[in-house]
Amino acid sequence: MAAAKSKNALDLFIEGARNGWVIGTTSMLPNVLMAFVLIQILTITGLMGLIGKVAGPLMVLWGLPGEGMVVLLGAFMSMGGGVGVAAGLIANGALTPVHITILAPAIMLMGAIVQYMGRCLGTADSNRKWWGWQILICIINALVAMWAMRLIVSFFPDTPIGV
Amino acid sequence: MSAENQGQQKVTIASYLLLLVAIVIFSGAFTNIQADSAWVWLKMFDFTTLLGKFGAIAGSKNNFQGVGGTGARNGFLFAINLCPSVILALGIVKIVDGYGGLLAAEKIIRPFFRPLLGIPGILGLAFITHLQSTDGSAAMAKELFDGGQITDEERTLFTTLMLSGDGTITNYFATIAGLFQYFTVPIIIPLVIIFLCKIMGTNIMRFLLKASGRKAAA
Repeated sequence: MAAAKSKNALDLFIEGARNGWVIGTTSMLPNVLMAFVLIQILTITGLMGLIGKVAGPLMVLWGLPGEGMVVLLGAFMSMGGGVGVAAGLIANGALTPVHITILAPAIMLMGAIVQYMGRCLGTADSNRKWWGWQILICIINALVAMWAMRLIVSFFPDTPIGV
Repeated sequence: MSAENQGQQKVTIASYLLLLVAIVIFSGAFTNIQADSAWVWLKMFDFTTLLGKFGAIAGSKNNFQGVGGTGARNGFLFAINLCPSVILALGIVKIVDGYGGLLAAEKIIRPFFRPLLGIPGILGLAFITHLQSTDGSAAMAKELFDGGQITDEERTLFTTLMLSGDGTITNYFATIAGLFQYFTVPIIIPLVIIFLCKIMGTNIMRFLLKASGRKAAA
């Protein structure tokens, strides 16, 4: 990178950190705030409890409560949405750090598929015959990742690292 | 990082060293070194230690976020609480990238493209770009196909790899970073799982393409 040659490590750090601040405040903050409001609505209307009950028997396959489904649905729309919902559900006690750890790779692997269909498959002009399979593969990747994480978390204490 | 910039960037010993240091920082290898150990200085290479902690408000056990909050107001403070993790992670990643660390990673993994993913080494640059940018790498894949350098099947395999967890490094350290503080495992483990699952998914597509090719030939 030509510009990087004149920049030392501290300059580069500041540049990355500034980008982190912009992403944190202009992308993550609105996403988290929206998710907290959404969770508030789902909670006072009783829908969250209903989703928890309905999705519970399915999500238990990955060691998660039914509310974990809301995180996956949020992630499918946008990764920021998935992270926001996860943050909201850990704040209200519906999810634990272990659940978050299991869900994290899935938020990425099946994250933002709706917008990436255009930005990735559309831009690359990828063969449309396979689009359906490609989306299904993203979901399979996410489900397998949650099983792998479920196994891995069992080798670690249930508290966040460094706490 | 644009393709043009990558072309000008050089991979040096420092690139490999910084890549290694970043892996160590995010691996949590030094998280549990005790304060009285002679090796305590190694904690400077630990993300959790570098991130530190918010102080508690005097006379309370809680930080500025308090307890019992709900709705948008609670979401706002919660998001502020998540910001330092994103800022620190992207700062570290930028140093590694600025010194060619990601290109060094590409050099290491390029020989494995064909056996692991069924795609040619020429997609190496597009692969590294996809770790940071969705749109850039998708455009590169199209250009390579239009130039006859990759086949339609190789493009399908590459977009399968891209689509699941696209912008892998940027999204992990910018978006998922908000959740790092809750991880009960080292930060690098979910990232490794993400890469392994991306490889697995690409091979499912490889199998489907082969099966489809056999059917067409029959």
